[in-house]
Amino acid sequence: MKKQSTRIRFVFIITILFLIIIILKVFYIQVIDYKKLNKLSSSLWGRNLPIAAERGKIYDRNGKVLADNITTTSLVLIPNQIKNKKEVSKKLAEILNVSVKEMQKHVYKKTSIERVHPEGRKLSYDVAQQIDKLEYDGVYLVKESKRYYPYKELLAHTLGYVGIDNQGLSGLELEYNKYLTGKDGAIKYFSDGKGKKLELSEVYVQPQNGIDVNLTIDLEIQKSIERELTNVVEKYNPDHALIMAMDPNTGEILGMGSRPSFNPNNYQNYSTEIINRNLPIFMTYEPGSTFKIITLTAAIEENKVNLFKDRYTDTGGVTINGARIKCWKAGGHGDQSYLEVVENSCNPGFVNLGLKLGKKTLFSYINKFGFGNKTGVDLNGEENGILFNLNKVTDLELATTAFGQGISVTPIQQITAVSSIVNGGTLYKPYITKSFSTSSNIIKENTPVSRGKVISKKTAKLVRYALENVVAHGSGRGAYIENYRIGGKTGTAQKVSNGAYMVGNYILSFIGFAPADNPKVVLYVAVDNPKGVTQYGGVVSAPIAGSIFKDLIKIMNIKESKKGIEKEYNWNDVKYIKVPDVTGKTKDEALKLLKDFKVEFSGSGNTVVYQSPIENNLAPINSIVKILLN
Amino acid sequence: MKNKSFDILLFIAVIAMIIFGIIMIYSSSYIWAEYKFNDPFKYVKSQTVFFIIGIFLMIFISKIDYNFYQKKSNLLLLICFILLILVLIPGIGKVRNGARSWFGIGPLGIQPSEATKIALIIFVSKYLANNSKDIRSIKKGVLPILLVILAFFGLIMLEPDFGTGMVMVATLIVVLFISGVNISFFIKAGIFGLVGIIALIIAAPYRLKRIVSFINPWNDPLGSGFQIIQSLYAIGPGGLLGQGFLNSRQKHFYLPEPQTDFIFSIISEEFGFLGVLIVTFFFGFIFYRMIKISLKAPDNFSKYLAFGLSFGIVLQALLNLMVVVGLIPVTGVTLPFLSYGGSSLLVSMASVGIILNISRHEK
Repeated sequence: MKKQSTRIRFVFIITILFLIIIILKVFYIQVIDYKKLNKLSSSLWGRNLPIAAERGKIYDRNGKVLADNITTTSLVLIPNQIKNKKEVSKKLAEILNVSVKEMQKHVYKKTSIERVHPEGRKLSYDVAQQIDKLEYDGVYLVKESKRYYPYKELLAHTLGYVGIDNQGLSGLELEYNKYLTGKDGAIKYFSDGKGKKLELSEVYVQPQNGIDVNLTIDLEIQKSIERELTNVVEKYNPDHALIMAMDPNTGEILGMGSRPSFNPNNYQNYSTEIINRNLPIFMTYEPGSTFKIITLTAAIEENKVNLFKDRYTDTGGVTINGARIKCWKAGGHGDQSYLEVVENSCNPGFVNLGLKLGKKTLFSYINKFGFGNKTGVDLNGEENGILFNLNKVTDLELATTAFGQGISVTPIQQITAVSSIVNGGTLYKPYITKSFSTSSNIIKENTPVSRGKVISKKTAKLVRYALENVVAHGSGRGAYIENYRIGGKTGTAQKVSNGAYMVGNYILSFIGFAPADNPKVVLYVAVDNPKGVTQYGGVVSAPIAGSIFKDLIKIMNIKESKKGIEKEYNWNDVKYIKVPDVTGKTKDEALKLLKDFKVEFSGSGNTVVYQSPIENNLAPINSIVKILLN
Repeated sequence: MKNKSFDILLFIAVIAMIIFGIIMIYSSSYIWAEYKFNDPFKYVKSQTVFFIIGIFLMIFISKIDYNFYQKKSNLLLLICFILLILVLIPGIGKVRNGARSWFGIGPLGIQPSEATKIALIIFVSKYLANNSKDIRSIKKGVLPILLVILAFFGLIMLEPDFGTGMVMVATLIVVLFISGVNISFFIKAGIFGLVGIIALIIAAPYRLKRIVSFINPWNDPLGSGFQIIQSLYAIGPGGLLGQGFLNSRQKHFYLPEPQTDFIFSIISEEFGFLGVLIVTFFFGFIFYRMIKISLKAPDNFSKYLAFGLSFGIVLQALLNLMVVVGLIPVTGVTLPFLSYGGSSLLVSMASVGIILNISRHEK
């Protein structure tokens, strides 16, 4: 009997031990594994009816919408929750004007969430109201939102575009996708194992709309830019064209655009090359004469030149290290003040300035103005450009750099550098995003970022004056507007292909600012390989800048000024007159018509077959007109 | 001696447990009941009827002198033997959960294997009490009774009802153990049993699936691991205090038939760790009271009988709980007193009735 009792007690203890093990296991499941199991089971029980968040909008500086959303209402069914399927099918079919059979396909479908596509998408307000009034279980109306660019091509490269799920794929849409993307909301409900809604609880999680992005762009300026780009394409069919406007006192980009462009509403129709290249920040090329502004500024700042007193005699070219650098004007400009060197955009004169500065000094200015490095603008796809390696720079490279050849820069580098010169010497980091905001408050605001003072105010004033002269008297006169003060510089850069200059293929550019005494805007225009026109920046790009400046005067409320340099009556003015058409005329007739010019003949016949400059071009009185006789 | 009252604490604990069971059957079954029968109270009503019958049965049995069973043990076992044969015949026995183990009587069901368990415990107890000298010899004493046990196990396995059969065999082997059979026998039997289990697994591969799904239920979450995972999903989120009465989510068609094998999952879900502690405490307490009766039993037969019946109940409870919390593979045994199931409840209450009668004869 004793043995049996012992064994019974033994079994009892073992049994109690097992009970304790079970309790410990439950403790483990409910306390230690709690989080994991709770999460897993919540995903088992929980069902989400998604409510799409609206993507943040992109505005211009005045609150005009550049990237918008179209909101539509769509019908969504949760078949397991629909109680009277017959009735629901019939009613919905009636409202949506489809056959009952078609509707039953959706209502009876074995799925957790059924979108009624396409009849139930993008419903009109009336239809949505009718469905809403029915108040059926399992019948939901959800908001859907689609990106829409109201101005189509306008600012397309910069804005970018979004994919099918409203995700940013290029431009600002990609760069600020995180800000722009909202947080989808949902109606969360618990369902049973058969998918039916449980009475337990229903949670409405409000969608959080994306954050709006406010740009420094001015829609009106942008419109003007786009109009001129469209015109230039129509007129000259160039390979590329680009225009950019900047506030020189802050670095804010007021407008930028390029051709070829695309419509982001149907980006699928364009090649990725067209879509992805935002030319004002991407394209690199020899700047040509617009770069002379840098050389000029450096020389003035370094006291290497007095624009008014120092003189330079251009004989038509200089020889550096055995290489002949010609002036664009055959025979040269003769004796000039340095102000005239600037007006005439005289290459040998600038070579001389370069040599006066020396490679170290000139290149240090080039660096200080930000060339060779990204400007740091808040846009994707910016290029660096290429400079000479300072160790390998001989006088020849120094000479070509001085008038803008042999180096490669981007448009934004140029406009940023010139902005810093005309604003009094402060180099700003360019930016296009003014702020991020929600409907109620500003989340983050960008302010001008100075990258240092490069030149003195005095130098800036002199450069502005010289460049105002270029527009009033020199190659930039196409941008001249009566009673307004505009400064600027043209550029004609031969394009390089495979290490050699291409024949008859130029990028014609103009960089200008207004008003010249206190610039509010800097404008850069470049037209790549226009067809059927004289390939000078003064002919193609300056007039484009001129017509944009006319708009800018209105948009930016730039005041008239009588203090500006007038075309005709300045102390050192060289009168420009139109060159008459003498081709086809006899030698004597031509001489009579060209009485205001010095005439150089070549050939021995009696009929004029070619003249330079060609007819209707403006040329200074007493300047040389060459004519070719048969 | 006859006038002595039975163990009232045991009686109260069992009644309380069953009432709690009925409440939990309601909570865990009303969703399914409404879905299947359009009557959320379907299972509760049925269980309540059995409970009321069970109370009378338990009190009635507690008044029958246990010696009656000793006298009639052969007859009782014979009746069970016939029932076990009959239930195998299609048309008489009904298939449920893959086993032909039921007699359908109206809406209610009777499981002969459950009754066999009691009859066999009575038979074995009597045998051990009458042959206390022979059982020292394995050949002479243990082997004959073991063959009887295995014969009935075989019959149950023909249904097949692995869970009930296993509980029965394991219970009787432990009864052999406490009766004083040599330890060496159990070591041999253990090895033999292991081989037997392996053989059974080979015979029916679904058992292997159960074992694999126990080792890693997430391997096949929609197949063999389904029940364990759904059970863990119920227990886990219960936390310390549970979701609250009636607030189980897993009963909403996730956990299949939560009112039977997995009622403990729903208890854990709705009452949390605290509920689990209380339920296991009750099982421990009931077992303690029953073991005490066994220890104080007036003779060997009643000692073995009380122990066998109480251990049968507790072993089944342990197996069920260990399945539900994922300690052992799914075996298909219900939780005594708590799970839905009329015949199982009646058998458990009858067992308690017998034990209560023995308690009247305590030394």
